[in-house]
Amino acid sequence: MKHAILGATALTLLATGAIAQEVTLGRFFGDCENAGTDTKASVGEACIIQSIINAADATLDGVSVNTLPTDWGNYYDQIKAAYAGGTPPDVHVMHRHRVPEFASLGALADLTDDLDAAGIDPSDWEPAALEAVTYNDRIVGVPMDFHANLWHVNMDLMEAAGLVADGAPVLPSSPEELLEHARAVKEATGQDYLAADFAQFPLGVRLVLALVWQQGANVFDGDTATLDTAEARNAISAVTQLFEAELANPQLNYADSQQAFLNGEAAILVNGTWVVDLYASEAANAETALSTYYAADFPTLFNEGATWADSHMWAIPAPLKANDPETYDAALRVLAFINDHNVDWARTGHMAVRSSVLESDEYAGLPHRDEYTGTADIARDTPPSARYGAIQDVLNREFQAIWLTGKPVDTALLDAQVDVQDLLDR
Amino acid sequence: MNRSYYWLILALSIPAFLWLVPTIWMVSLSFQPNDVLARTTSTTALGLIPIPFTPDNYIALFRFGQVPMWFLNSLIVSAGMTLAVLAVSTTAGYALARLDFPFKGPIIVLCLMGLMVPEQAVFIPLYTMFADWGWHNSHHALILPRVAVPIGVFLMMQFFKAIPKDIEEAARIDGVGWLQIFWHVMLPLARPAMMTLAILTFLYAWNDYLWPLVSAQQREFFTITLGLASIQSNFAQAEGLGRVMASGVIASLPVVVLFLVFQRYVVRAMTAGGTKG
Amino acid sequence: MPEHQGSRRALSQRQAALILLLPFMAVYGLFLVYPFFKGVWISLHDWNLMAVAFNPDAKTYVGLRNYERVMWGRDITWGALANPGFQIVGFLGMVASYLLYRSGRAGRVTALAMGIAALLLFVLPGFHPDAGGRWFDRRFWPTVGNTILFVGLAVPGVTVTAMLLAAALDGETRAKAVLRTLFFLSQVLSVTVVTLIWQIMFSPRQGLIANLTELFGGSPVVWLTAEGFAMAAIVIATIWWSLGIAMILFLAGLQDISKDLYEAGALDNATGAKAFWHITLPNLKRTITVVVVLQIILHFQVFGQSHLMTNGGPNDTTQVLVRYIYQTAFRDSELGRASAMAVFLFVIMGAFSILQFVLGRETEE
Repeated sequence: MKHAILGATALTLLATGAIAQEVTLGRFFGDCENAGTDTKASVGEACIIQSIINAADATLDGVSVNTLPTDWGNYYDQIKAAYAGGTPPDVHVMHRHRVPEFASLGALADLTDDLDAAGIDPSDWEPAALEAVTYNDRIVGVPMDFHANLWHVNMDLMEAAGLVADGAPVLPSSPEELLEHARAVKEATGQDYLAADFAQFPLGVRLVLALVWQQGANVFDGDTATLDTAEARNAISAVTQLFEAELANPQLNYADSQQAFLNGEAAILVNGTWVVDLYASEAANAETALSTYYAADFPTLFNEGATWADSHMWAIPAPLKANDPETYDAALRVLAFINDHNVDWARTGHMAVRSSVLESDEYAGLPHRDEYTGTADIARDTPPSARYGAIQDVLNREFQAIWLTGKPVDTALLDAQVDVQDLLDR
Repeated sequence: MNRSYYWLILALSIPAFLWLVPTIWMVSLSFQPNDVLARTTSTTALGLIPIPFTPDNYIALFRFGQVPMWFLNSLIVSAGMTLAVLAVSTTAGYALARLDFPFKGPIIVLCLMGLMVPEQAVFIPLYTMFADWGWHNSHHALILPRVAVPIGVFLMMQFFKAIPKDIEEAARIDGVGWLQIFWHVMLPLARPAMMTLAILTFLYAWNDYLWPLVSAQQREFFTITLGLASIQSNFAQAEGLGRVMASGVIASLPVVVLFLVFQRYVVRAMTAGGTKG
Repeated sequence: MPEHQGSRRALSQRQAALILLLPFMAVYGLFLVYPFFKGVWISLHDWNLMAVAFNPDAKTYVGLRNYERVMWGRDITWGALANPGFQIVGFLGMVASYLLYRSGRAGRVTALAMGIAALLLFVLPGFHPDAGGRWFDRRFWPTVGNTILFVGLAVPGVTVTAMLLAAALDGETRAKAVLRTLFFLSQVLSVTVVTLIWQIMFSPRQGLIANLTELFGGSPVVWLTAEGFAMAAIVIATIWWSLGIAMILFLAGLQDISKDLYEAGALDNATGAKAFWHITLPNLKRTITVVVVLQIILHFQVFGQSHLMTNGGPNDTTQVLVRYIYQTAFRDSELGRASAMAVFLFVIMGAFSILQFVLGRETEE
């Protein structure tokens, strides 16, 4: 396989006359064709990451980067299949939650002793970022961000419902208040209060999870599933009360819910940090109904603050380090370049991982950044597990069954409990 | 040709048109600007007529994007598979139909049993084998598994069986060897059957989804069918509905043209290949 | 002497056969026979996709445990009326197939096939977990059930539509040929094109169907995420896609019906629908059986429609067997379990293939 790629590049090299170490790079985030190399001008996750990669390709002497973008849906299926087939990309992006699954098999290269030489300073990483990429005391990746669920707010709709104070939205502090606010928005504007992807990706799951954590509970603990609980019921009914009162529509998928928010059909969109710059630029666009946009911390409806969070990070396959030191070095240089451009990636709306970036004026000056400063402190996730992906699928299936097909909450939670336990037992 | 005949044709034209509507819609959307489609898909006649019209989606498709590369991969894989299937099927089909050799009966039964094994029952072990050999992400990995499916051998065997014995015997008496008979006498006779088999294989190769999905993890080796699947799940992202639809049209063009030109063979191939279409 | 000359220059019949057979047998052995047995072997192991890739010894032999984990449960019992709906139908089916055979209205093979199907319908739904027991894999049998439901909707849908169209379009006129082409056209498209088209057709925001409903003042159905509609949606897309083959097979079957029969029927005033019912249908019996069996085999392997249009949802209502196999292997990395399911799929497909073969034989006789 390698030879085929090398063969293909050899042809292009003959054409350009350059000799460069090729690094194949696997990522999700979607396609961006006209990203260019200006890392300060691109908009949206796909184009920002691609502009950074293009800049690395153009700037680094002797390194050419070949991006193998792929879609979200099958990303981990494909990357696993690639590892198993012996043809993983030389560097690839992954989530913190996947580290146990990959690292426990020895799939990820141990970067601990090579970072300094490559110009990457782990001591500049936030402690939580260092922890995210550490497995058994070894560093197996380069962190790129923290991302978390936010409440994206259409301020005009909130204003109409009298839910704005001091230029900030007034968000609920209890499930009861959530319903009151939703009614107020419906009465004042005729629009839904809240939208989110409740029908496709697990964004609805993350919303419910946050509400579970806010009550000090979790969905599993060590090897025991703890889903069939009063806390889970409270969290779910906080959401389903909106569906029952027809103040939110559970049937929207990711694209539809986003469209509804941009069209001014929902006051709140629950989605991640990754869309802050996209919505900010859409709000500036006169043709988009959304005109006054605010990015708020996930509100606390129960006892303690919590919102779902994760990290994007970059890893290098262990076989590359063992078998191909030259490409490994080139791959590390690419990672160093990405690490150096942490502030550019943060333009998406993600939170930076480097202390020096977090303290910089450039970071503080990013649009809407001051509106969700509390998120870093309430960021949470389920406990680490090699079965994370499958567990998310169980939760997504059973929660969706509740609001899309009317499955009784008790049955759904019991089924989810059994299935998660089954996964933990394997 | 009486009145009731014209009424029948007229009555059937309505469902036939409805049957075509989804295809027409795909083509029509592919010629509309993406920013219009983002607002509404039913500008003119429910979107079935491409007004406002733009060829931009197709231009962009060939300027950027990986659709041309996927298209080329599909051509390579489909052509390679077709040639390979023809080669092994005509030879083996001829041997099984016309030659005498030990264990012929059991070999035929063994091949027959292969028809019972669906692709889905062997794709996991095939995946592990190809992984061990480092074969994934290559054209031959996409081609070879299908070459092993014995359907072609059976089509050719049945065809060769139907050829009268005396053609062969005349050649034998003239001292022509078996391989020469195969090459100079049988193959020319078999052209229609080979055409049928070629079309069947090409269509299968062009449209195959499950095996490329597991074997090709790198976009350079996606076939157009697989690439289209990856575009579909990216609806939320940049490209826009018109672009996606244009990719669908491009992906369908060769098979539709093949069908319209060789309709008779395609129909025969589909009937013969039935299960594996 | 020519013969002498020939045998000196040419190979013996055996040698020629060997040379001609070798390429296919090599490919066949390596890429079909061997993988098939390897699949069975994998199904007897606890085999993690990635773990084994990094360390070939990371698999353990577990015997039939994967099969047990997939298909069985704790405290499973059998009751004759545990699932009365299916079981009564199954029981009646057994009685019916016996009576049909006795009265000579069904052939031996048809009666036997019907009888076995009815027996399975009576026996299989009878298994259920006792109080306190449960299936080890709660999703497997529902997934099989969804697959059967899909087959049960798609096959009659395709068969009836194709038969009616074939009867209407049988004939040598130009207009009929054009119409046949139109109906056949969608058959050559790939599953990803079909799902692409229908995904958008069904979309509540951008879909043609939604546009139509809104035009008439209705509120659009959210087809692909609404329980009940999701399965209907993939069945509709499937009928649209795969009608062609069935129609062609029926047209071929119609060619074999003697024109004399219709002429004789016309004397008895049997034309149009009457002729279809009394002459066409009885004479198409064999073609119908062949089409139905072919379609069952084809649609039992459904994957793309479910994978791309609905992701198996909502609430697993469109999760089908091949998609479950794919996910178990490549999302959960559990090749052993996935292979056990693949062997199960093979057994079912094999049974229908044998049926198809036997029926084909019967038709030839």
